Amino acid sequence: MIALMNALIRYATSSIGKKQIVGLTGLMLCGFLAGHLAGNFLLYKGEGVFNAYAQFLTSNPLLPYIELALLGVFMTHIGFALWVTWEDLLARPERYAVRRNAGGRTIGSSTMIYTGALTLAFLLFHVTVFKLSGEAEQHVRGLFGVVIDCFKSGAWVAFYAAALLGLGVHLSHGVQSAFQTFGVNHEKLTPGIKAAGLLFAAAMAVCFGMIPVLTKMGRIG
Amino acid sequence: MSGMKLTLKIWRQKGPGAPGELRSYGVQDISPDMSFLEMLDVLNEQLIKLGEDPVAFDHDCREGICGMCSLVIDGRAHGKDSGKTSCDMRMRGYQDGDTIAIEPFRAKGFPVVKDLVVDRSAFDRIMQAGGYVSVNAGSAPEAHSLPVPYEKAEAAMDHAACIGCGACVAACPNASAMLFVSAKVSQLALLPQGGPERARRALSMLEQHDKEGFGNCTNEGECEKVCPKSVKISSIARLNREFLRASVLY
Ligand code: HEM
Ligand code: FES
Repeated sequence: MIALMNALIRYATSSIGKKQIVGLTGLMLCGFLAGHLAGNFLLYKGEGVFNAYAQFLTSNPLLPYIELALLGVFMTHIGFALWVTWEDLLARPERYAVRRNAGGRTIGSSTMIYTGALTLAFLLFHVTVFKLSGEAEQHVRGLFGVVIDCFKSGAWVAFYAAALLGLGVHLSHGVQSAFQTFGVNHEKLTPGIKAAGLLFAAAMAVCFGMIPVLTKMGRIG
Repeated sequence: MSGMKLTLKIWRQKGPGAPGELRSYGVQDISPDMSFLEMLDVLNEQLIKLGEDPVAFDHDCREGICGMCSLVIDGRAHGKDSGKTSCDMRMRGYQDGDTIAIEPFRAKGFPVVKDLVVDRSAFDRIMQAGGYVSVNAGSAPEAHSLPVPYEKAEAAMDHAACIGCGACVAACPNASAMLFVSAKVSQLALLPQGGPERARRALSMLEQHDKEGFGNCTNEGECEKVCPKSVKISSIARLNREFLRASVLY
């Protein structure tokens, strides 16, 4: 038992272990995003269907446990990502006076901590509005109504668009990076993984982002 | 006399921990056929004549095989020529009147000794942690008793090409030495001789890497672009696999 604990600690405190934990939780979050998006598509089916879906989710007795697990995944991802980033800052105490990238970095790879932070800020607002919103508001037109009301505000729509763009940039590096972190790198596979990662990132940003925009335009609601 | 006139901005630092600064120097009569280090020799001769302290920089073979030269030239480790060390780069890529900034490799794990010289003994300690094969002393075994497939031998050679210069650390935004560690681990993991100590090697070399204060690899890919021996980050992927396997098995 102690041996196992020691092995786990050694793994989770090593540079590669930390990265693999960020990668695994990152991919789990990608799975969550895909599921969440599937639910969002029901908004296009109108008030009845969407509210029934929301009802179905909230009436599940396991929901609190699932939410707790999801929170755990988020906290782990954020915690380890901050740890990794902090150590990386310390690893170069003195900066270069002249710094030129050699061609490996991308916008996504060099901004992970910023796009991550933007995503986190977004999540806090998002959960406050859609999950912790007063029961009273939900009684009128259900969760559907809350969504429609929220996206009447241009400021909200702009914030959503910006945050989802950030998420897209995060994933443009994140998805393929997680594969590399787990050691999947192969002449034949890697170009495909990179393309699929970009496609996934773009799909998440566009499909989630379309909802506030279409609502504002009056196409949903 | 003909030849290029250049302005050099060179990091000068008297000793470990001392404050340093970029100082400007002029050099003349630089032939395009000179190597980058020969150009620095010209500067140093000039400084010595003036009674000034010459610029300290590391070098040994001056033909791209020893891994001693360690310059960051205009923000790029080993300068602008891909697949080459600083010593192997010629001056023909520059033009009369150019200004060139020259800095040491910068990382917590590579403290500056003087001017452009950094202490890379961290790499030696990583090697000592497991970058070897323990063998029984005795007469050499019959070569055919350990068959190695051609592809494996070639792949092992690609990793063994690493000269341990540390350009990967210098170029990495996180000052990670993962490309170095991965080349050393992979080189042995691919060969039957490296098999028995494979798991222990991956764990202890990585542990030493982390202890030395190098950062974490975030798959930026800068290292492979500056590596003078073109070691690829697929090597790091192999290390990641080796480490995961070792963590489970060992
Ligand atoms: C839905 C939300 C999120 C998803 C789907 C996601 C996904 C990912 C993925 C797949 C990776 C790549 C891991 C690897 O390279 O192995 C990653 C890395 C990272 N994430 Fe997230 N992430 C999310 C939210 C966040 C948040 C809220 C933060 C908070 C600050 C964050 C910070 C980071 C950082 C800093 C990295 C880079 C770590 C490194 O380079 O090692 N992420 N993320
Ligand atoms: S001096 Fe030997 S590689 Fe440059």
